[in-house]
Amino acid sequence: MPDSGYPWPIETTRLDNGLRVVVSEDRTAPAVAVNLWYDVGSRHEPEGQTGFAHLFEHLMFEGSVNVAKTEHMKLIQGSGGSLNATTNPDRTNYFETVPAEHLELALWLEADRMGGLVPALTQETLDNQREVVKNERRQRYENVPYGDAWLRLLPLLYPPGHPYHHATIGSMADLNAAGLPTFQAFHQTYYAPNNAVLTVVGDTTAAEVFALADKYFGSIPPRADIPAAPDGRTVPTAGRPAGETVTADVPAPRVYVAHRSEPFGTPGYDVATVLATVLGSGRGSRLYQRLADGERIAQPDLIGAYGVDLAHAPAPLIATATARDGVTAERLRDGLAEVVDELATVSVTAAELDRAKALLSTTWWRQMSTVEGRADTLGRYATQFGDPAKAGERLPAWLAVTAEQIAEQAAELLRPEHDRVTLIYVPEEKAA
Amino acid sequence: MTLITERPGPGAARPYRFPQVVRRAVAGGQVVAAHLPGQNLAVALLLLDAGAGREPVGKEGLGAVLAKALEEGTAQRDATAYALAIEALGTELVTGLDWDSFQVSVQVPVDRLGAAVELLAEAVRTPKLDPADVLRVRDDEATALRMDWANPGPRADAVLRGDIFGTDNRWGRPMYGDPDSVAALDVDDVTVFHSEWFIRPGTLIVVGDLDRVDLDALGATAFAGAGGGPVEKGGPIEVPRHDRRRIILVDRPGSVQSTLRLGHPSPHRAHPDHVPTTLAGTVLGGAFTSRLNHLLREVHGYTYGIRGDFASSRRFGRFAISSGVQTAVTAPALVEAVGEVSRTRAEGVTEDELAVARFWRAGQLSVELQTPRAIASALATLVVHDLPDDYHARLREALLAADVDQVSAAAAAHLHPESLTLVVEGDAAVIRDELVATGLGEVVDHTP
Repeated sequence: MPDSGYPWPIETTRLDNGLRVVVSEDRTAPAVAVNLWYDVGSRHEPEGQTGFAHLFEHLMFEGSVNVAKTEHMKLIQGSGGSLNATTNPDRTNYFETVPAEHLELALWLEADRMGGLVPALTQETLDNQREVVKNERRQRYENVPYGDAWLRLLPLLYPPGHPYHHATIGSMADLNAAGLPTFQAFHQTYYAPNNAVLTVVGDTTAAEVFALADKYFGSIPPRADIPAAPDGRTVPTAGRPAGETVTADVPAPRVYVAHRSEPFGTPGYDVATVLATVLGSGRGSRLYQRLADGERIAQPDLIGAYGVDLAHAPAPLIATATARDGVTAERLRDGLAEVVDELATVSVTAAELDRAKALLSTTWWRQMSTVEGRADTLGRYATQFGDPAKAGERLPAWLAVTAEQIAEQAAELLRPEHDRVTLIYVPEEKAA
Repeated sequence: MTLITERPGPGAARPYRFPQVVRRAVAGGQVVAAHLPGQNLAVALLLLDAGAGREPVGKEGLGAVLAKALEEGTAQRDATAYALAIEALGTELVTGLDWDSFQVSVQVPVDRLGAAVELLAEAVRTPKLDPADVLRVRDDEATALRMDWANPGPRADAVLRGDIFGTDNRWGRPMYGDPDSVAALDVDDVTVFHSEWFIRPGTLIVVGDLDRVDLDALGATAFAGAGGGPVEKGGPIEVPRHDRRRIILVDRPGSVQSTLRLGHPSPHRAHPDHVPTTLAGTVLGGAFTSRLNHLLREVHGYTYGIRGDFASSRRFGRFAISSGVQTAVTAPALVEAVGEVSRTRAEGVTEDELAVARFWRAGQLSVELQTPRAIASALATLVVHDLPDDYHARLREALLAADVDQVSAAAAAHLHPESLTLVVEGDAAVIRDELVATGLGEVVDHTP
C-alpha cells in the first residue's frame, strides 16, 4: 500500500486578507496550473434564485476593472493556455493551465476578477450570458434523451429546503427573473479572499507564488460575515422507497437506483466509493456480469454505478442500467434492484475487492498525472477539509476498505427502506 | 483597495521539449517509445492499419464490432476470466478507431505494463470470435448506435458527410457506421476483417519511464505470431466541391434547439498548407475566442457554443462548423455563421487574431502533452503520417512563424462559403419557412 497518494511537495501560506495559497512544485513540464476554489455553490442559493451561482460563474469571464469584456479568454488563449470554470452544489472553481512564463498574467487576471468584478458588470452582459446559460440548459438537459435524470433525482433524494434539493443549472423561470443587483451582491458576499483557495502546481516555486499572490491579491479586503449555506448534513429519513416513472421520447427503458450515502471525505464515503466500483465499474463488475453478460437484459455500454463527490451532505450513490431490445422497464428495475440488494447478502470476494482497488488506483494516478488535476485536488482538500495534504490520504483509505465494511454499508444505507429512489424512463408509444 | 492596473508581461520563456523518442525494430514489428522519467503510469498502444478506411462500402461499423468482440473471450480464457484478469491490473482495454488506424491500448502503473501487454496481445491476436458472441456483440452495437442516434447530432453529421463525400464511398458514410449498417453485418465479415488486418504486426507505442520498461520484451509479446507485411495505403482522394450552396433539413419534431452542421471538402493531412490552414480555422472557429463563438455566443446569445475547424486524414479532409442554437433563432444564426465564413475568406485574418491563434496552438503543445496517453497519441500521429521524431518541435516553430499573409491566403484558398452544405436538424415545421426566406440556398428535406 502506498504511504501517500500525493508524493509531491506541498507548501501553504495565508495572506493577511485570509486568502489561502497552496503551491506544489513540479519541474517536469514547462507549464503551471492555476486554480481557485471559491467556497460557494448552488447549495447557497435561496428559493427563487436557483441557477444563480452558475450564471454568476459565466459573468466572471466577461471583464473586470482592468480587463475588457472577452479579454480574459483572449489573454489566456493568446499565451497558449487552457481555461475553464465549473459550478456544482458545493463550490465554484476557476482554472487555467499556461506555459510557465505566463504565471503572473494568470494571477493578475484572477485577482482582477476577485477584487474588481462589480464595477464592470453591466445589464447587457447579464442579459447575454443569461441567454447563453439557457442555451446550455437546452443543450445538456432538455434536448437529449434522459438529459433531465439528474434534475429529477435530486428532489427525490433531498427534501425541499435541503441545499442539494435543486440542481445547479437552475430553473428557466428563476434565470429569467435574475436581476443585476442580485449578482452584484452575490459577488460582494461570496467572492472574498477569505472564502477562496488559490492553488498553483507546476514549474514554479512556493516563494515565487507567495510573493506574486501577495502582490496581486494582497490588497483585496476580506469580508467578515460570509453567510453559511443551510446545513444539510442531517437528512430526515422517510423510511420508505420513493420513485418516479417518466414516459418520454427515449430510445429504450432506463432505470436509476439512487441512495444517499455519506458525505465525500468521510470513511463511510470511502466505503461507498469502493462499493460503487465493485458494483458498476468495468466488465468485471457485478452489474455487468449479472445484467449485461449473465441475464443479458441490459445494454453493456450503458451500465454503471458511481458516487457523486459532494461533501456537505450525504452524497448520492447511483446505479443505472438501460434495457436491451425486448426487455421491459419492470424486468430491468427488478434485475438492477436485486444486484444492489445482494451487496448486503452476498459477500464481496477478495478478487472483486482487488479488482476494484486496482481500478481506483489507476483512476487516482490518472487524476494526478496532470498539473491541473493535482491543482484541483489540492484546492478541494484545502477548501473542504482545511488541509491540502489530506489529499494524500484518499488513495490509502480506499485501499484499506474491507469486504465487511461494504456489506455493512449495503445493509445499512442501500436498503429499499432507506429512502431508495427509483427513477424509470419508459419510451413513448409512437403513433403507427 | 488598489488592484494592480498594469497587465504583467511574460517571464523568461522555458525551452520547449518533446520527450525523447526511441524507435526500434523488434520481432517483425516496430516499437516507438517516449521516455517520461519518474512517471508512475505507463501506456502501451498497438497501432494497426485497420481504420474505418479499410472497411468495405456497405460494411460500416465492422471495426467497432470487432473491437468489442475482442473482449468476448480468447483462445486461453472466457470473457469473464479475461475481464477479471485485465481489471485486476487496474486497466481496461481501450479501443479507438479513426479513418487511418485502429488503436488498442492499456494504461497501468509501470510495473504492470508487461502483464497488461500480454493480455492486450492475447485479445488482439487470438480472440475466440465465437459466432454466437459475435452476433450478440453486433446486436448490442447496433442498439448502442440506435441510442446514440436518438441524440441530436449523429444524423446531421451523417447527412453532412454523405453530401460532401458521396454515400457511394466509404468516406461518405459515418466512421462508426449507423444502426442499419451494423445490424446487417454477419459473422464472416468480422472474422475475415480480423484475419486480414489484425494479424499484421503493426506498431507498438510505449510511453512511460523507459528505465523501468523492457521494450524488446514488450515488442516480442505484441508481435508474437503476427505476420504479413504492410499494405499500400492509397494516395489523397480528389473530392469535387459543390457548385452551389444548399440547406438540408433533418426533421426532429419538438426539438428546442436546432443542430447545425455546415461543411465542405478540404485538403488532406500532408498538404503543404496544413499549418496556415489550421490557423485560419482557429481564427474562424477553433477556440472560445474565435470569430464564430464571439459573434453567435458572446454578442447574440444564440448558443452555448459554436466551433469550426479543418480536420484531415491521410486521404481526405473537411472543413466543418457545428453548433446547437435555440429553435427561434435558427435562421439568423445560420446567416451569421455563413457570413463569418465569407468574411474570413474575403478579408483574411488580422494580426491580433492570428497572434492569439498561433500562441494558443503553440502553447497547447506544452500544456496538453503532459500525460502518457496524450504523448502516446502524439506518437501515433508520427507513425500514421510518417513524421520525424522532432515533428512537434518543428510544428511549434512553424506555428509561431506563420504570418498574416500566409494564413489569409490559406483562408482564401480553402474556405468555400458558396459550396457549403448547411445541414439543420430541428423542428422542420417551425423553421422551414424561415430557412427558405434566408435565401442561403435551396432547402431540401432529408428523406431517410
